[in-house]
Amino acid sequence: MKNIALGQYYPTGSVIHRADPRMKLILAVLFIVCTFLCKNIYSFGAILLASVLLVLVSRIPLKTVLRSIRALLFIMIFTLVINVFMTKGEVLLFEWKFIHIYREGIVNACFMLVRIFALIIGTSILLTYTTTPIALTDAIESLLSPLKKIKLPIHEFAMMMTIALRFIPTLMEETEKIMAAQKARGADFTNGSLIKRAKALIPILIPLFVSAFRRADELSVAMECRCYHGGEGRTSMRVLKYRASDFLLFLAFAALCAGLIALNLLKTPFAL
Amino acid sequence: MSEIKLENVSYVYSEDTPYEKRALTDVTATIKSGAITGIIGHTGSGKSTLVQMLNGLTRPMSGRVLLDGKDIWEDPKKISDVRFRVGLVMQYPEYQLFDETIRADIAFGPKNMGLDKEEIERRVLEAADFAGVDREWLDKSPFDLSGGQKRRAAIAGIIAMRPEILVLDEPAAGLDPAGRKNIMEGLCAYRDKTGSSVVIVSHSMEDMAQYCDDIIVISDGRVIAQGKKEEVFSQSDLLRSVGLDIPQITLVMRLLADNGINVNTGVYTVEDAVNEIYKLI
Ligand SMILES: Nc1ncnc2c1ncn2[C@@H]1O[C@H](COP(=O)(O)OP(=O)(O)OP(=O)(O)O)[C@@H](O)[C@H]1O
Ligand SMILES: [Mg+2]
Repeated sequence: MKNIALGQYYPTGSVIHRADPRMKLILAVLFIVCTFLCKNIYSFGAILLASVLLVLVSRIPLKTVLRSIRALLFIMIFTLVINVFMTKGEVLLFEWKFIHIYREGIVNACFMLVRIFALIIGTSILLTYTTTPIALTDAIESLLSPLKKIKLPIHEFAMMMTIALRFIPTLMEETEKIMAAQKARGADFTNGSLIKRAKALIPILIPLFVSAFRRADELSVAMECRCYHGGEGRTSMRVLKYRASDFLLFLAFAALCAGLIALNLLKTPFAL
Repeated sequence: MSEIKLENVSYVYSEDTPYEKRALTDVTATIKSGAITGIIGHTGSGKSTLVQMLNGLTRPMSGRVLLDGKDIWEDPKKISDVRFRVGLVMQYPEYQLFDETIRADIAFGPKNMGLDKEEIERRVLEAADFAGVDREWLDKSPFDLSGGQKRRAAIAGIIAMRPEILVLDEPAAGLDPAGRKNIMEGLCAYRDKTGSSVVIVSHSMEDMAQYCDDIIVISDGRVIAQGKKEEVFSQSDLLRSVGLDIPQITLVMRLLADNGINVNTGVYTVEDAVNEIYKLI
């Protein structure tokens, strides 16, 4: 339950945790671009190295990181199989009936694996593990704020996100409690036909909706009482500020980008 | 009737995450048959976690819960039988009513037990009486009742299953004195009429002293004292050290005794205290 409260936020106090969420958002985009820049074995090697480095710097336990990779294992295996069997190339390694495996297929498959791996690591280390959802919302609001000029309700959108994020764990907790209470009266949510199980949900949904509306009502009254009136001229308790270390991080990523482009120029038979 | 024993029960929330929290550590306790047992402890000490073990809503990570000597988790498929025998009223139950009428809501438990219509109706009325639910409320919607009235309806919903052991997590929290008294007396009546055991979690030492036979004290997920209420409340230093206190009237008697006045300090209600003091005159 707490997991959902904080997303997968895993506090270790590392440099990445302390970085400005806006910078992390930008860096995550940059890192994604980097993974798509890679063209040959050198650049793929470099991005792999960079991913591992990210994990080490963030000090998130390997076990936790691997857990998020396991969730995408199926996609990885699927990509591997497709690439190995479907790529046509020049160097035939193996042939049996209609199956042809080329060296290029194997190379491509490995590259794709590295790319997916780097994508997961990059986004999860830079965003989900080291940034709370609330900080991320603040960052999005700040980055999108120029769009307020063309009358897009950015602040309202961010406020809605923040409130939703704030109340998801509360609702989860409530659901759990209500389920427990109905279980204590012999409700059965796991056995029986589909219709029976759907019916068993009514005793949960009704109190849940009632309390959600009650909460919404209370919250709006509380906001009125504190004279909330939208984004115009509002300041924030958490003021986002870029620091020197943020720019250093940015430089590191820019260097990675440039390095990858340079590595792409090296000649090797192992290339896309 | 029935007795529950907890043997070396431990429970950890969010295990293996940075938010890991030990809620119960090696808890061994006995809920005696036919007694009213009080569970006291400061906020966050693990009382709610403990009572949810009693009817199998949470499963201990280690240790056993024995109902009449039989491990309730021996056959997890039969856990709902345990839940009918051990009725649990959770903290703030008023937010859990869902049916169109109070009558239908109280009938939810008995219906799940597969009882027939007449029996259900009989039990609804009986439970309503024990919990202090007015007959007039029965055909109202839960949303037309006040918080305290809904609380009673929710308690009736559990009593209607006629549990051999009735467990209530802070049944009287947030009610006025008359309401507290009414609920506590209803619970005593339930015990006296049916011979069932009753377990009550409460922050009110006064209520505990007045209505309970046995007391279990927990602090930081450990049982630090249990036994007859006289034994437990005689350990006032221990209770104070974990942020609890003895009932105020007992404290008054204790102070009188300390000042050399010859009174009985094992007194837990104002009436008894008055009688004690009359004896002096
Ligand atoms: N669902 C949960 N997830 C994580 N931790 C929890 C959860 N429920 C309770 N805890 C923690 O376990 C400990 C014991 O909680 P519990 O609810 O049993 O306390 P309590 O004695 O009933 O307190 P109160 O008097 O406030 O009701 C607390 O420290 C609490 O923070
Ligand atoms: Mg509690």
